[in-house]
Amino acid sequence: MTRQVLICVIFAAVLLSGALLISSSPGTASSLNQEATPIPNLSISDEYCSSCHGQPGQTLTLGDGSTLDLYVDPLEHASSIHGSQGYACVQCHADVGEYPHPPFQAADRRDVTIQLNSVCQRCHGSQYELAHDSVHARAQAAGNREAAVCSDCHTAHAVQDWVDEQTGETLPEARAIIPQTCAQCHSAIHAEYLTSVHGSALTDENNPDVPTCIDCHGVHNIEDPTTAEFRLASPQMCAKCHTDPERMAKYGISTDVLSTYVADFHGTTVAIFEKQSPDAETNKPVCYDCHGVHNIKRADDPEKGLQVKENLLATCQKCHPDAQENFPTAWLSHYIPSPDRYPLVYYVDLFYKFLIPTVIGGMAFLVVLDVSRSAINLRRRRQVTRQPEGMSSTLPSDEGVEAAQDAADSPEAQDVSESKTALKPPPTPANENPEEEADRG
Amino acid sequence: MNEQIENNAVASPAVRLEKVFQRFTVSQRWEHWLLLLSFTVLLLTGLPQKYRSAIWSQQLLATPDQVALIQTIHHIAAIVLILEVIYHLGKAVYRMAQRRLPDDIFVTWQDFRDAGQMVAYLLFLRKSPPPFGKYNFEQKVTYWFMFVGIGIMIISGLILWFPEIVTQIVPGGIIPAAKLAHSTEAIVAAIFVVIWHFYHVHLQRLNLSIFNGKIGEKDMNTYHTLEYERLTEDQPGESGGEQA
Repeated sequence: MTRQVLICVIFAAVLLSGALLISSSPGTASSLNQEATPIPNLSISDEYCSSCHGQPGQTLTLGDGSTLDLYVDPLEHASSIHGSQGYACVQCHADVGEYPHPPFQAADRRDVTIQLNSVCQRCHGSQYELAHDSVHARAQAAGNREAAVCSDCHTAHAVQDWVDEQTGETLPEARAIIPQTCAQCHSAIHAEYLTSVHGSALTDENNPDVPTCIDCHGVHNIEDPTTAEFRLASPQMCAKCHTDPERMAKYGISTDVLSTYVADFHGTTVAIFEKQSPDAETNKPVCYDCHGVHNIKRADDPEKGLQVKENLLATCQKCHPDAQENFPTAWLSHYIPSPDRYPLVYYVDLFYKFLIPTVIGGMAFLVVLDVSRSAINLRRRRQVTRQPEGMSSTLPSDEGVEAAQDAADSPEAQDVSESKTALKPPPTPANENPEEEADRG
Repeated sequence: MNEQIENNAVASPAVRLEKVFQRFTVSQRWEHWLLLLSFTVLLLTGLPQKYRSAIWSQQLLATPDQVALIQTIHHIAAIVLILEVIYHLGKAVYRMAQRRLPDDIFVTWQDFRDAGQMVAYLLFLRKSPPPFGKYNFEQKVTYWFMFVGIGIMIISGLILWFPEIVTQIVPGGIIPAAKLAHSTEAIVAAIFVVIWHFYHVHLQRLNLSIFNGKIGEKDMNTYHTLEYERLTEDQPGESGGEQA
């Protein structure tokens, strides 16, 4: 009995320690978070905070002498995703505690935002981590305080839900807001984007198929788009939509754009570098080198489209300064050659489609015949050598003189002399022209 | 082409005498070496560019530096091949001007008859292969197939090398057509050399005359009967004792 109890206790101890191990491993991150933001005192209600911060006119003087408005519109918070789901002020502002709370100190207004940024990490750890790897976070770390942090895009008190929880997709109403959000800093690019085929479709008709900023640049872990890696990977980025048959069918756009690009000089090289040395610097063009980056136009745009010959030539000349009028047609323009388009390429292809089987087939046929005839000859010759009086009927001339002489004694000598007549007498049918004969040294 | 019959001095009655004929001149043997080497290097540096999805190709072309290196090697080998072709054609033209161009390599109707008879022989419809001259139809096929193939390779290769210049004269569509022809013809040539040429000079019989320039009397009589007749007829006194 005591033994059973002991086993039970040991078993329970093992289970418990295992459970502890499991719970403690992801806990390292959360324990760090808790260091950064203390456990909120949930007994402090939003009404309690609003009794002061819900009254306009509260300000705080910051280190640089500027004033921070401490007023928070209770309605704004209530209509935000946090407020509507019942999250309390203290869940973000956890270190404040009961009134009188310790004074908040910041050098300037930007410092306020940056200081408070870490509170998002408590609940949104994975997004926070992703953002930490972004070009924005690296710029922050390098000392650019203006680089975006969470609340620059999401706001502090009016955070909206932008994602469909079920599908994980961006909500349609959010798509239109995204470029405006990025435009807070990247206004020049935003202006270009609005003129593009993608941007104009988004603003004009809230088209669900065109990319917004985040579809190319990513959401939280936004990469530096000026690196070689980004450049080499970019064709796959465009291909996400442009090889999707369903999406492209709506607009009559070919889904062969990637395969035809990869099949040609530039794309081949880019595709190999992307796989083998993703950080290689190359001047081989990727999609956006020809089509434009944020100002992408339709290929048949009457003014700027690449189907306008001069536009394409100007594009080629960026790397091929000696290119002349005919040069751009060296590029198949994403078309697969056919009798109508690029007939020369099509017929060269067709020619080889016939030539290759003919050549290989013909040669293989002759070689196989030759091998089998030689093998049969060899076997017969062996029979002849073994029994000189043998019954071998044919003795081909390429057997060598000895074998021929062996056979000359045999009853089939008639056959052999026939074959030798074909070989011996010199009527030289190949050299019917005596002059040519004389020409030879 | 100077066919000479080498006189072997009689050493002892135990030594079997075999006459050796000069088949290729030193310059022809050099030409073959140049062709062999440039062809091999061109294939080795060209195939990775064609089979770009193969992993061995991607490892060779992994970085911009490696691509540039492989391209440079390919171009150097191409220049060697082009110079060899210029020499070859130049010599032919020079000899033509002197009316000394040997016509053995040119295709005649007899070659088609020979081919037919050879197939008939291989199908047991004839008891012996037809007698051949200095070059049999198989060797002529090799020469002319490579001649045309190398011509296509050089023309299309130069088009690809200098696209900006070429398109000043001809439409741009020539570039992708040349690319297709270049990469496909290369495969055709490679397959041809491996199946046809290697079979005939290595497997069917080891024929080293392009390397040592010589051919023995027996081989000469067996494989180039008509040429043997012609040469021995000129000097009847020197004909070998091996003939029946």
